Amino acid sequence: MVQIVVAISSSEVISTKRIIFLAYESFFCFLLTHGFRTYMNSNRWLSLSMPRLLPRLFSAIIVMAVAMYFLRIPLSVPLGLFNKSLVFDLNNILGLSLVYSFFFFTWSIVYFTYNYFERYNKSLKLEASVKEIELSNLKSQLNPHFIFNALNSIRALVDENPDKAKMAINQLSNILRNTLVTEKKGLTKFGDELKVVRDYLGLESIRFEERLKTDFDIDPASKNFLVPPLMVQTLVENGVKHGISKLTEGGVIQLKTKVERGKLSIRIRNSGQYHATNGHKRRGGLGLVNTSQRLKLLYGDGAYFAISNEKDNFVLTEIIIPPIQYESVDN
Amino acid sequence: MRALIIDDERLARKELTKLLEEHPSIEIVGEAMNADEAEQMINDLNPDLLFLDIQMPGRTGFQLLESLESVPLVVFTTAYDEFALKAFEVNALDYLLKPIQAERLSEAIHKIMEKERAKIGRGAGKKLGLEDQVFVKDGERCWFVSLANIRYFESDGNYIKVYFDANRPMIHKSLNALDDRLDERAFFRASRKHIINLSWVEGIEPWFNGGLMVKLRGGDKVEVSRRQAAKFKDMMSL
Repeated sequence: MVQIVVAISSSEVISTKRIIFLAYESFFCFLLTHGFRTYMNSNRWLSLSMPRLLPRLFSAIIVMAVAMYFLRIPLSVPLGLFNKSLVFDLNNILGLSLVYSFFFFTWSIVYFTYNYFERYNKSLKLEASVKEIELSNLKSQLNPHFIFNALNSIRALVDENPDKAKMAINQLSNILRNTLVTEKKGLTKFGDELKVVRDYLGLESIRFEERLKTDFDIDPASKNFLVPPLMVQTLVENGVKHGISKLTEGGVIQLKTKVERGKLSIRIRNSGQYHATNGHKRRGGLGLVNTSQRLKLLYGDGAYFAISNEKDNFVLTEIIIPPIQYESVDN
Repeated sequence: MRALIIDDERLARKELTKLLEEHPSIEIVGEAMNADEAEQMINDLNPDLLFLDIQMPGRTGFQLLESLESVPLVVFTTAYDEFALKAFEVNALDYLLKPIQAERLSEAIHKIMEKERAKIGRGAGKKLGLEDQVFVKDGERCWFVSLANIRYFESDGNYIKVYFDANRPMIHKSLNALDDRLDERAFFRASRKHIINLSWVEGIEPWFNGGLMVKLRGGDKVEVSRRQAAKFKDMMSL
């Protein structure tokens, strides 16, 4: 600042015109870079790879530099700084354009460095939130209450019905295996998910016996549809935990799927009542929050998820999943 | 010892019954699959010991205990219930984690037998004496309190404050109803507001209007109303 002020005051006479001219010049520079930025944004230059970006960037810099040189001319005329032979001298054109190129080049470096860091930060944050959701999912899926109760039932079955006990051990190990490998799989076929749900309900029926009735209505077309792993299982488990297990006389769990207009609709109905503001805040709401977060991460606003009470003492949980689009996860 | 098993799952009851075969000192007098059934059976069979599951449809194990006037010895059985079990950290109470291990069960029964031996003459009359215990739940915390440890009861609206050790949790009950259930040789209705445990009385002073001020061990003072003073003097002077 001090230096600029000193420089200006030392060459007073010519300087007033010079200053006006410099102001116009910087104003045009600002306009050009601003336009350039808008252009880059609309053409997504930030996501281009280096070999594709660099030639574009250098041509743009040259175009802007030359444009800048000629944009100065209409200004220099009224200010009396116009010198025809000098202005259209090729050496002068090239020299000054080079100066401007250097300026625009510096600007680009600053601009791209800033934006790359910004994007890196954002992607780190997104990754962190994805990991966090995965972790809390894993925690909620490894439901100790379920596992130990199942083991306890199996212990009793060993005497009463050894074959059934063996089957139950297989079902339990399938569930545990699925829970542990989920993290590595982004999506799973609904057919596979259905197997886990059947194993889960098989184990719970050993525990609840005649108090738990199940009912499946599966559209064959849904089996190859890709779904987030253990999502349906978690919701069915919710239905058992908050619905059936609270009812002295037990109840029914129904699972119904349908593929309509390319989307998979999954409806889970269970006996009981859904209380949005349940006393068990620590555990009750977690599964549902996780589910909607997962759907949001995978499908953006493309998926639908809702839970509601129906008239005849039934709770309906409904998910509608669009065919998979991976783009939203990577960007 | 006569025991009642309370669990909503048939297989869980069966497994525990099987494990208890090793312990002839425990006689299973019944099995209940929910709190309502259990309450009925406790009243009919008057068991000494409950094996009680916490999570059940309808009322939970805790709610069952709260509804009982006198609580038998209790061993909780649960698969996993960190919140519920935390409530008992301060108490010397036993619980078994499912699947139940035979050694743990033996330990628990051993402890129970010792507790039982320390007691004498429980269940002789229908009234609650110093040997009986009650279950008290106040918010997140729970206690099994022997009536001998309770210094006095104080009515507070629809609730009763129970004074023992450094605690004074509230129970939802009227002082009149409680008074009817307590053994009159051990507990005395001092006034409209208080019932005192006679075994805690340390000193008596005359008070205004012909009443008395009773000093309890531990420093509490409870006023005896004029109406009750004469009766109190009678009781305390042989």
